Parts: sequence; structure tokens; C-alpha cells
Amino acid sequence: MTVKPASNGHPRQRVLDDELRHVAHQIVAKYPNPRSATLPLLFLVQSVEGYVSADGMREVAEILGLTPAQVLATSSFYTMLKKKPQGEYLVSVCRNISCTHRGARGVLTALQERLGIDVGETTPDGRFSLEAAECLATCDGAPALQINYEDFYDTTPESASQLVEKLERGEEVRSVRGEPVRTATEIARETAMAGVVLPGTAGDVVARTVGGESQPTDFYPGHRPRVEGPDE
Amino acid sequence: MAEETRIVTRRLREFPDDSWTFDRARADDAYEAARKAVTSLTPSEVTELVKSSGLRGKGGAGFPTGMKWSFVPEDVTPRYVVVNHDEGEPGTFKDRELAEADPHQLIEGIIIASWANGANKAFVYCRGEFALGSRRLDAAIRDAYEQGFLGRGIFGSGFDLDIVLHRGAGAYICGEESALLDSLEGFRGQPRLRPPFPAVKGLYGQPTVVNNTETLSTLPAIVANGAEWHKQWGTEKSPGTKVLSVSGHVTRPGNYEVAYGTTLKELLDLAGGMLDGRRLKAIIPGGASAPLLTDTSVPMDFESLKEAGTMLGSGAVVFMDETTCMVRNALVTTEFFEHESCGKCTPCREGTWWAVKVLERIEHGEGRQEDLDLLLDVADGMDGRAFCPLGDAAAWALRSNVKLFRGEFERHVAEGRCPMDDEHLAFAGSRSRGLGLGESGIAGQPSAGIGTDAWEGADH
Repeated sequence: MTVKPASNGHPRQRVLDDELRHVAHQIVAKYPNPRSATLPLLFLVQSVEGYVSADGMREVAEILGLTPAQVLATSSFYTMLKKKPQGEYLVSVCRNISCTHRGARGVLTALQERLGIDVGETTPDGRFSLEAAECLATCDGAPALQINYEDFYDTTPESASQLVEKLERGEEVRSVRGEPVRTATEIARETAMAGVVLPGTAGDVVARTVGGESQPTDFYPGHRPRVEGPDE
Repeated sequence: MAEETRIVTRRLREFPDDSWTFDRARADDAYEAARKAVTSLTPSEVTELVKSSGLRGKGGAGFPTGMKWSFVPEDVTPRYVVVNHDEGEPGTFKDRELAEADPHQLIEGIIIASWANGANKAFVYCRGEFALGSRRLDAAIRDAYEQGFLGRGIFGSGFDLDIVLHRGAGAYICGEESALLDSLEGFRGQPRLRPPFPAVKGLYGQPTVVNNTETLSTLPAIVANGAEWHKQWGTEKSPGTKVLSVSGHVTRPGNYEVAYGTTLKELLDLAGGMLDGRRLKAIIPGGASAPLLTDTSVPMDFESLKEAGTMLGSGAVVFMDETTCMVRNALVTTEFFEHESCGKCTPCREGTWWAVKVLERIEHGEGRQEDLDLLLDVADGMDGRAFCPLGDAAAWALRSNVKLFRGEFERHVAEGRCPMDDEHLAFAGSRSRGLGLGESGIAGQPSAGIGTDAWEGADH
């Protein structure tokens, strides 16, 4: 596949390297129709760039046989696919009904002051982005927030600021359900690769042994890869 | 004192430390109902069983599940089952807990639904923000394959089933089933014109059953215990149980599984009553879309809530106490619908936009008396005139806030301030636009600079 030169005439670095292109093809193989892989592939781009770049969208379009405009049309619709570079940690404060009624505004204001940024912005050192999110399905812990999509419950202006300070110091922070907070890169990669098992991993060994056949399997064991069109 | 009736939440409540693991679920008889369905019942017998159990969809519409399945044409293949795990109705957090804490129950339900509908491939559309839920589902699907419960010839039968886990990317509208299918096909998540319904023409134009996570999670218990067993709870028209997500100003917010027909008062008791003993002011009985109630004697079932002028919806119950500002409630709710309006049709796209402008004006103490009727007029302009139920929902919520608490709205206007609170709405000056709908050139919105300082400072 050729890479088109950038508009300034300089050769462009590819967003998705060979390894990620391999992953991209594993993702495409999950679906009867390649276009269904648009969202996960855009998450793959975001894991490299920190956002969905124009170059990344162009490469996704080439992989899926779409036009860049088709990919942009899809990408621009979704809140989690970011239009500008994001910080290592995305702090999403729920601003919906239960959280607002239980003090979300104070939490958000405290984070704005602590981070020195407004909602929708990223700190100059690139470590934190702040957003006001719609209902995160965490109303049982209102006011709640997510850091890179891990849940934190019953937050206060103080506890939210402390979470940020811990991350600044490089300490491990765990969600209300005991999950460690991943980096933005890790979480975007994980989101892209939901349901994918790569050859050579433990899951792939299962894939090749179940059913007594040794044909390479693209994702879950038992799955028969189909290139295009509806199955069966 | 009311009690919970735990069917779908039984395992996760009994084994809170490891209910999501294969070993725990299996020791608790997970997959035995699916085995029974696939190895000893025909697909039509399963469908009949589900029909006679009276199971109704638990995502919001309450449509009878067995009847939905019966619309799938028998002579068209392939057919698909799609799990709507894109929970996003404000106040709702039941599906999140069900998939995080009992993913094997959901997978078992998927197997049963796929067998009944002759689908060899099922898709789980998992909300993008559900990182842990996706992680747990991914691991559980893997375990099920390893055990031969998914893949080729499951349970030693001739039935093949693959499950594809798919992540959304942040869009409430994708919880609407036809928008979900467009999203799953790699498009913007915008609703399709219906008919044809997904059961006839769904994913990739093929017959597709779209069921909610809680609905599918109920299937193993019904197959294991029978239709009559399921009907021993609830009401004649709403049999069984419902997981209600209780939040707001209550002592113990959380998911409570109760028989349909349990009253709001009983539910409030289960949640430990109002926080700090404060007085109840208003109730959202079925998610942000549902008109408000003040009466706690109303039973929580489809018919009773409809009679009370509201709806059960997704089963999200928000109790609000006497300190709650209803103008702010209306604003937060309407801002949500404005943010999540997909932009496809004018009444919803423009109506939510204008309603937010007017509500912000009132919240900022700059409202006019005629604004109240203006808001009702905007609501009328959306209700029944939008392409999909999102516009209707925005209208219902707005209208009910203004009508039920008109005096409070009038005081905001007359006093030029919030009578409940001296603070102004922090969100008004600092709203996250993200990569939402604004960029697509929606009329009335600046075409550039959304999310920038210029946007934030704009007069809107």
C-alpha cells in the first residue's frame, strides 16, 4: 500500500505501523462487512496519535476501502473519538441528573481550578484532559467521574483533586471496582481490540486447539473468518 | 417492608466476590439452561416458552420479547442476534452491573436467543465507556469458547454460534435499536425509518433480533424454570421482575430487582428512604425521558405508570428532595437531549437547542414570563414530530418540569435568581462539546470554533 505525501510535499510518517496494520486486519476479520471495523480502527489511530488525526482517518479509509470523507463522517459523530490531542488521563465528570443534584458542579469546578484548565481543554504538559460527560451509568455513586473510563464514586471536590495529585505523582490509582487506571494509549488500544485474539497469544493457542483443527483463527476460538458479505 | 425478588441479580448478589468468573458461574449452574434449550427444545418451542412467560423487553419500550422474535422471517438467512448493551438513559445503570458482574448469564441468554432465532452470529454492542464491562465480557466469551459453549457444535449439538464483541464510541442515540445497527455497520448512529423493522431487515439488511442486556439475562432462568414460574411475580400484563436503578437523594442508591407492581414507596424504602431525612419533591420514574411524578403510591409496571401519565422506560428511578432546583433539573435534562440529538431531523435538533437557550436564560436570572409558554410551545413542536423517540422524550421531560413546577419557574423569572440556590449553573459557561454534533453545520450554531473560547463565550 502506498502512502500519499502530505500536502506540504514531505513524506508522511505512517500512523499505523506494520504491527498495528496486522492488528487492524484481525479486527476487520471479526465482521461480515469490513466497514463495521470503522470505530475500532479509529480507536487504534487514537491509541497512536492521542486523537483521531486526518492522516489516521485516511489510513483507515484505505484499509477499509472507504473514502476519507466516509470515515470522517462516522468519526465526527462520536464523543469518545477525539478531534484534538488529548492528555494521558482523560477525566470525565458526569454532569447528568443524579450527579448534578448530588454535587457534580463542585467537583468539576475543583478540577478546573486544580488543573488550571477549562472543560474541553488539556493541560500544557499533556497529562490531563477534562470533560463534562453525559450520564456514565454510575448514578449509584453520584457524583461520579471516570478517569480513562474507570469509575470513581461518591466524589467530592477534595477527593477528585487528590486523585489527580496521585496520578501526577505517578502513583497507582484504582477505581471503585479495583481496576487500575490505564493510560489513554492503553485504553484506546484495549477498546479497539475488544474481542480480538492475536496469533501467538494464549487465546490463539485455544483457538487452534478447540475443534481439533489447526487453521489460523482471527479472533475467538471457533470463529471462521469471512472476508465479506453476510455469513452462511 | 418490601423485598427484592432476585432473578437476574441473584448470582451477583450471592457471590459478590467472583460472580463474573467462569468457575463461580459454572458451579452455580451457568449454561445448563442454554444446554437444555439447544439439546432438548426446538427453536420454536423456546420462542413459545418465552412468549408464554410474558417476558417484556427491559430496555425501555417493554415490547413482548417472544412476539418480537416471531417477526423474524423463517426463510431468510443469515439471521443475527444483537445485544443492546449501549445503556445510556440518564439514571440507568442496571445493564452495566449485569454485564460486569454476571457476563456468563448474558452469554447464556444470547445462546438461547440465537438458538430460538436461528442465528449463528451474535453481536454485543457494548457502550464505549464501559471499560470494565467490556473486559469482563471479553474474558467470559473466551472462557465460553474454551469450554465448547460457543463456537462450532456447541454442547455437542450441530448448532454453531459465534459472539462478536463490539464497542460503541459515545453516543446515547445508539441505544435506539436502528441507530445501533447503523453504528455497528460503521456509520454515524442515526435512526432508520421503520418499517421495515430490524426483525425483518436489520444488520446488513438481514433479519436481526435486537434485545436488551437485562432481557437476555432473564432468559436462562425462564428456560430453566418455565413460563408459569416466571409469571408468579408481577402483574398480569407485566409479569416477572425488573431491575430498577435507584439514584438521587436516597440513602442507598443502587440496583434493586423487584416484582413489577412494586410501588415507588416500597422502592424508596428498599433504598433506605430519603437522604438525611429530607422531604421528597419529585420522582423521575423511568429515566430522563419519563415525565415526573410526585406520588409514591404508583406501582412500577408498564400500565400503572402509563395511567399516571408517565412511563417505566428503562427503570431508572431518580428521587429528588426539597432542595432540588427544578429549573436546573429541566436544564440538565434538556442539555442532555440537545447534546445527544443526532441532528437528523429538524424538530429535535432545533427544539432541544432552543429549549436549552431559554432554560439557560431563566437559570441565569434573565428569563421572561413569556418564556414558560415558549418552552411549552417548543415541547409541542418536538412531541410527535421527531424522526425517533429522542425528540418525544426531550419534549415530555421538558413539559413535565415546566407544568408540574410552574410556580418555581415563575419565581426564577420574577426574582431574577434561583430561589433554591444562589449559585449559578457552573456548566453553562463551560460545557463540553467534544466531538459531538455541533461540527456538522447545524443551523443556529457557529460552524467553527465549537469547544474553543469563542464558542464558550458565545451568546447562546
